[in-house]
Amino acid sequence: MPRILPTMILAALLLVGWEAYCRLAEVSPLILPAPSGVLRALAQNRAEIGMHAGVTLGVATLGFSLSICFAFATSVLLHFVGWAERGLMPLFVASQTIPLVALAPLMILWFGFGLLPKVLLVILVTFFPMLLSLLSGYRQTPAAFRELLGSMGANRMEIFRRAALPSARPAFLAGLRISATYAIVATIFAEYAGARRGLGIYILSAKNNFRADLVLAAVVVSACLTLTLLGALRLIDRWTAKGPEARNHA
Amino acid sequence: MLEIRNLCIRAGKRTLLSGLNLGLQDNRITAVIGPSGCGKTSILRWLAGIAPPSMHSDGELLLDGDAIATPHPALCYQPQNDALFPWLTIIQNASLGLEISGKSRREAKTLVAPLFQSFGLQGCENMFPSQLSGGMRQRAAFLRTVVQDGRFILLDEPFSALDAVTRLRMQKWLLARLQDRPRGVLLITHDLNEAAYMADRIIVMSSSPGRIIADLPVDHMRGQRGETALAPMRDKLKSLLLEETP
Repeated sequence: MPRILPTMILAALLLVGWEAYCRLAEVSPLILPAPSGVLRALAQNRAEIGMHAGVTLGVATLGFSLSICFAFATSVLLHFVGWAERGLMPLFVASQTIPLVALAPLMILWFGFGLLPKVLLVILVTFFPMLLSLLSGYRQTPAAFRELLGSMGANRMEIFRRAALPSARPAFLAGLRISATYAIVATIFAEYAGARRGLGIYILSAKNNFRADLVLAAVVVSACLTLTLLGALRLIDRWTAKGPEARNHA
Repeated sequence: MLEIRNLCIRAGKRTLLSGLNLGLQDNRITAVIGPSGCGKTSILRWLAGIAPPSMHSDGELLLDGDAIATPHPALCYQPQNDALFPWLTIIQNASLGLEISGKSRREAKTLVAPLFQSFGLQGCENMFPSQLSGGMRQRAAFLRTVVQDGRFILLDEPFSALDAVTRLRMQKWLLARLQDRPRGVLLITHDLNEAAYMADRIIVMSSSPGRIIADLPVDHMRGQRGETALAPMRDKLKSLLLEETP
């Protein structure tokens, strides 16, 4: 049985139940449109939603890519410089406690309606899980590997490159997947706070026009974008896996 | 010759070794046995240059009369488990030491590849460690150690993770490899049979703080030690260790 089959069956049951409820209870489409209505709205407005989705995906990809670089560079710094970890980690943890609801409008206020505030927001939301997973991955390097390389005369950087970095791969990929799910949501949130284009502003405008069907159509597209990002990560994981990990994918 | 002079090792307030003097001869296998916690592994880690920062050591190491610092290319360490990197193929694992010593990847592989046959690993070059049996993995680990071309090999209970039959086969196999490529070996082991079968000389340590209580030469030639020849040495080691263990 394909792994995805149970999910598909559950999703189909949910949609059928939702459709039946809307039809039988004659719920107003302004409040809760049926799935068929959402699909119809999506089909009718596909060009416009597609354009906004493209903008969102572009911002999310850019922010997420920069976030990966930032998380990696920070993790290397924190791994090698003990006092930097002690000094910076509490600040990074504190940064995660700032509510997005408060931060997103401020970002727009400070940096305008352009790309920068949205990218910054995506970085802020996605970099921390990756940083934590990288640091935890480095710590999981088996002592025997470090000692073996040390006995061969390897320096700290070489031990990091040859043992810590490959050991951190599974933990890093787990963090990457968590962050990828946040990336689209964070972008939409930033757009919602203020933008000219993107799914966030599209959802806001649809909501203001009482078009629940278009709001849900945009939600469907955003879910598809997240799944696309996760799928891309899975492919990268599969292509770069070596040894036992590679066979787990086979 | 490798000489350890007046080695003292402390872990916190606990003294693991105090004033240890030991000389290791080229091309001879010296086994060290002793009760748990007597500092056997600490000697090995000190020699390999991988003593943890919490361990304070004091002592001198001389190679042919000259003081040397560790890690040193003349001393090749093999940890208790095979420590093969799961993301590297066997040939990449075996080349690791050469690459770290400055050889290019290609150069290292060229030096390692011809040895696969004599180590019984032909055809395994591009396999990953998880695809090999325990015995094969140990052979790959030995290949990685031997190819570094150090004069002394430091073995920390190399067969402890293997089943009894594989262990016996590997002991025999290692002796044959050392016959082809003689090296001085410091073998840390808990197994009295292994010490008596493999070593040319057996050092017996006291319980903590560790000191040498017996230095026993093994009379019979390696590989020609049958059960009758092994039994007296094994009994002697057993009685020495039982006296030492409270």
